[in-house]
Amino acid sequence: MTTGLEAEIAELEIRLHHARSRLGASEASSNASLPQPSTLGKDETPCPCPLPTNASLHALLLLSDSALPLGSFAFSSGLESYLAHQKLQASGSTPASSASGIPSFFAFLQLSLSTLAGTALPYVLAGYRHPERIEELDNDFDASTPCTVARRASVAQGRALLTVWERSYRAEYMHVHMDDCMDKQAEQRAADVLSAFSKQIRTSDEVHAHLAPLWGVVTRALAVPLQDAAYLFLFSHARTITSAAVRASVMGPYQAQAVLAGSDLQRRIGGLVQDGWDTRIEDAGQSVPVMDLWVGRHEKLYSRIFNS
Amino acid sequence: MPFASPFGASTAEAGHGSIELAILPPNVPVLRNLSYQYPLKLVAPDALPPPDHNGDVNVPNLVHTVFLLTYGGGIVAGDGIDLSVSLDRYTRLILLTQGSTKIFKTPDPKLVSSQHMTVRLHLGSALVYLPDPVQPFAHTSFSQSQIYHLEDVQVNLCVCDWVTSGRSARGEDWDIYEYRSRNEVWSSGKNAKKKLLLRDNLILDKHGRTDMQLSARMDNHAVFGTLIIHGPAFASLSQHFLDEFEALPRIGGRNWGDTVQPELSPKEQRRVERQEQERLNGLIWSAARVRGFVLVKFASREVEGSRHWLRDMIYEEKSVLDQFGERAVLCLK
Repeated sequence: MTTGLEAEIAELEIRLHHARSRLGASEASSNASLPQPSTLGKDETPCPCPLPTNASLHALLLLSDSALPLGSFAFSSGLESYLAHQKLQASGSTPASSASGIPSFFAFLQLSLSTLAGTALPYVLAGYRHPERIEELDNDFDASTPCTVARRASVAQGRALLTVWERSYRAEYMHVHMDDCMDKQAEQRAADVLSAFSKQIRTSDEVHAHLAPLWGVVTRALAVPLQDAAYLFLFSHARTITSAAVRASVMGPYQAQAVLAGSDLQRRIGGLVQDGWDTRIEDAGQSVPVMDLWVGRHEKLYSRIFNS
Repeated sequence: MPFASPFGASTAEAGHGSIELAILPPNVPVLRNLSYQYPLKLVAPDALPPPDHNGDVNVPNLVHTVFLLTYGGGIVAGDGIDLSVSLDRYTRLILLTQGSTKIFKTPDPKLVSSQHMTVRLHLGSALVYLPDPVQPFAHTSFSQSQIYHLEDVQVNLCVCDWVTSGRSARGEDWDIYEYRSRNEVWSSGKNAKKKLLLRDNLILDKHGRTDMQLSARMDNHAVFGTLIIHGPAFASLSQHFLDEFEALPRIGGRNWGDTVQPELSPKEQRRVERQEQERLNGLIWSAARVRGFVLVKFASREVEGSRHWLRDMIYEEKSVLDQFGERAVLCLK
């Protein structure tokens, strides 16, 4: 189900974007988002099919929207540093041509996804399965993050996600799905955990709010199926890196879309989710040690366009 | 108080060992217990007074050293080593190895050899563990863990964990089945809740969820290492690593030749030489302050590059040598 979903998301994302911009803040349910003919271009005909009313799909679309204000695009997760290091190694032999950026990008994407799946994915899964353990998960993830640069990126996005939940989703998701979902208690619990956690963050400096465990709890509260939540977590990372590659002039925007649409990426992410499904957080670890160095040395770059 | 046997506990289980460093009042540290069982072997040479000892009764007047050895100089498939170490208040211990820890070929990838060490540190105690690297040969499966329990915040740690690509002379280049190394630091004071302070978990398995061979994932590096530094005794060492990291030349920066080269102080001169050596050895490193620790990561094209670099960094700063003596860095020579 997840693999087909991505193509659907891409398609629906644009439509949702248009639809949502026209929605009043008070209008809530998805069947109100039928396009209004009056606002369409003259030649267009209104889409006859209503948007799906599937609640979890709706939540998934919200989270996959590139307009989700997490600030993810400020981070390259080490890509920028990696490219600089590759250049450094190559200097002396052949001058790095612009074409050589692409194969290194693919290698990096693979390594970076595998790193994220090894280090962060177990925390996403644990956060989803045990929202009440968020404090411990947050602490342990913090203890496992080896450098300032990675910590900054993870905390910035985690806090942003918590803010989005507080300000935008909470009111909606605290009551909307009470009636139709058999798992509602678990979602309610996750929502309660988030409320308590965001209070704590203001009072305690022992709380960090890392993205991975919070992603798990938020997707739980939004009633997104776990497999989709995990898939989207990795996919968003791939999208962020690919987008960084476009802005770092490694590839063009169409090529980037082709990477994201590729069945290769779909298979890889699906495989990573499957592989990591039963990994305990204690066993989360780094399988690409040089990644820690690339990320950690980001602040040693002469010029930087990203925060990580 | 229960009766304490003067002979020390004998551990019957294979591969088990125990090091217990205690204080004989007022300030004499003694090895209360040193026991081991085949294939583990522990050797404790005479303890030496620390070079900086000034007669202060609160500072122990001896630094103990224990060599962690194995029969045959390595770990054979299926071996399991389990060592527990305990440091009483204000004691100082150096742990060393004698040559790299060789991991020998296993007939079956599922037969994993292991080495576990648990260290309990009490108030003011200090551990320096700068061993030789682990050297897993081709076709080996190995898993090790170093778990440190801090009974107090005022505890000092300077521990290194590094691994090489195998016998490079025989063309081995990360041809292992699997290698895992876990370093964890827990706070476990009597009153406080047990809490994870630091976890560094390295997992090298065949494909590591990529389709890439291990050697391709290592980006031409034959050594990877992590150095964990903590506590007031190593405050200046920590700062030294952070300062030197800060002073590294910018990656991708250029010398336009339009700045006047200032006269270099001897320290700056040594820094420039070290940085040049880093470049020649393909050594890259990073240092970061993480939750009250300084975590240093390094990698280089060959083992000796990392060894020399570590030695140079520690010698330049001197505080380890002052407090523990030359023995502390024996494995880096």
